[in-house]
Amino acid sequence: MKQLFTPFENVSKNTRLFIVLGWVVLLLGFWFVSSMGERHLFPSPQQVWQGFLELYNEGLVVHIGSSLLLCFSAIGIAIVISLVFSYLSTVPIIKPVAKTLSKLRYLPLTGITFYLAILISDARTMQVWVLVVFMSTYLTTSLLSMLNAIPQEEFDHARSLGCSRWEVLWEVVVKGRIDYVIDVIRQNLAIVWMMLVTVESILVAAGGLGFLIKNSDKFMNHGRIIALQIVILGVGLFIDFVLNYLRKAFFRYSKI
Amino acid sequence: MTYNMQNTLLYVEDLSVAYGDKVIIKDINLVEKDVIREGHITGQVIAVVGRSGRGKSTLFKALTGLVKPTSGKVLIANTQTGLDNDAKEVQEGDIGFVDQKYTLFRNKTVYETMLFALRRKEMTKAEKHTQIMQYLRDWGLENEKDQYPCELSGGQRQRTAVIEQIFCSGHYMVLDEPFSGLDVGNIEDVKKAFDLITASHEFNTIIYSTHDIELAVELADSIYVIGYPTIEGKRMDYGTIVKHFDMKELELAWKDYGLDHIEVVKQIKQVMLSS
Ligand SMILES: Nc1ncnc2c1ncn2[C@@H]1O[C@H](COP(=O)(O)OP(=O)(O)OP(=O)(O)O)[C@@H](O)[C@H]1O
Ligand SMILES: [Mg+2]
Repeated sequence: MKQLFTPFENVSKNTRLFIVLGWVVLLLGFWFVSSMGERHLFPSPQQVWQGFLELYNEGLVVHIGSSLLLCFSAIGIAIVISLVFSYLSTVPIIKPVAKTLSKLRYLPLTGITFYLAILISDARTMQVWVLVVFMSTYLTTSLLSMLNAIPQEEFDHARSLGCSRWEVLWEVVVKGRIDYVIDVIRQNLAIVWMMLVTVESILVAAGGLGFLIKNSDKFMNHGRIIALQIVILGVGLFIDFVLNYLRKAFFRYSKI
Repeated sequence: MTYNMQNTLLYVEDLSVAYGDKVIIKDINLVEKDVIREGHITGQVIAVVGRSGRGKSTLFKALTGLVKPTSGKVLIANTQTGLDNDAKEVQEGDIGFVDQKYTLFRNKTVYETMLFALRRKEMTKAEKHTQIMQYLRDWGLENEKDQYPCELSGGQRQRTAVIEQIFCSGHYMVLDEPFSGLDVGNIEDVKKAFDLITASHEFNTIIYSTHDIELAVELADSIYVIGYPTIEGKRMDYGTIVKHFDMKELELAWKDYGLDHIEVVKQIKQVMLSS
């Protein structure tokens, strides 16, 4: 028992499972108890379940699909842009451009939307590009720091094998770090996922989870809001899990 | 033991390397020639010793063209033209280099690493496979063939790195501390590899550093001690060659380890301690 409270203590797998279960039970218990009385901050589990059913009947799955589609198209475009700039940042003349792109993450979202609104009229395209601009800056930042973390020895090793500089880039950075790129996407996913919901609720287009949230807001339906939050959290965690799983499954050497 | 020397294989003149303002090595001058012995194919084995931080690795990076010298030059024999004493300035990729950390491609298995090292060789796929498997067997890496570097032990990584450079490099090979982290068996393997390499071509030249002075004296026919020089009574803080032991001249090269060798070990240790 004492070991559960000792720093750096290793515990068995079963014990770990018990600890997690304990916390979940505690959390659920707290939720039940705190939502019992007349006046309460959180809706009760029944209300949330009710909200979930309502959402489901209104086409929750379609909305999730719409959000995922938006998420993937934005990430797809953004990762291509960021990869091109990051890889080319190893070339001195492109380096400042890549660094600037990464610094642009301090730009406020409203500024970006304003200019994009002038260029793009379709709301859906607009959603995609707001996310792309936003994400590219974050992804580039992470990719640049991934590049910086590659030890000089790895480049020297490739050079000593007679690789030209472009081959070094291809072998060490592009091929040698694909698993890192997946992890960079995974780590930035939380930001996109959060932004995505916001963007969807500001620029209303084809529905999506953000749109649902906004709707529920209007009716002050607490059960619905919490149910939706749980769904969004769940979907996000699921993508996170899938990406991590893919990285480990496809890249045995990947020990990040 | 009679020998004579012919073509210059390595010529280093006034070499210095500085990182920013900090001079690491300076005034490095050395000449190594092709050693010819009647009835033997004799490659060259050159050892570099010196205390930690004196600039051995830095010297090696300059020798292999991986770091641009701040001043001076490194010339190697241009063996492509077939002319005697035709020299060229060293460029990255000319000289095989196994670094101190045994760096490998993290995303290539041992087998893929070897295949990559052979990519420019004009051999059929089957020939490449045969050669790779032969080496893996000889070096005891057969079972690790499909493992990634992160799944290898230090010694296995190191052997992989050495074979990779044997496959890829021309006549020159630089090894930074090839004996550290190896067990007695592996040390014998590397020694055998040295013998194989030097016995396979007159021009083949191995340059290695080590903290094991006995191994330097036992294997090398030329030993350089890198240390901080003392000029006019003042100890400088950059590395340079403070002493050169020509084991051929001392008639200690290509001989079994004996009392005379132990004497040289003592001398080297003395020089190292005062530099
Ligand atoms: N990239 C670098 N930038 C600045 N200083 C460096 C760099 N690399 C090495 N040095 C410095 O150069 C000096 C020589 O380093 P080097 O690695 O060549 O030593 P070494 O003789 O190989 O030592 P060891 O036996 O411990 O491997 C050290 O003082 C080190 O701090
Ligand atoms: Mg070193």
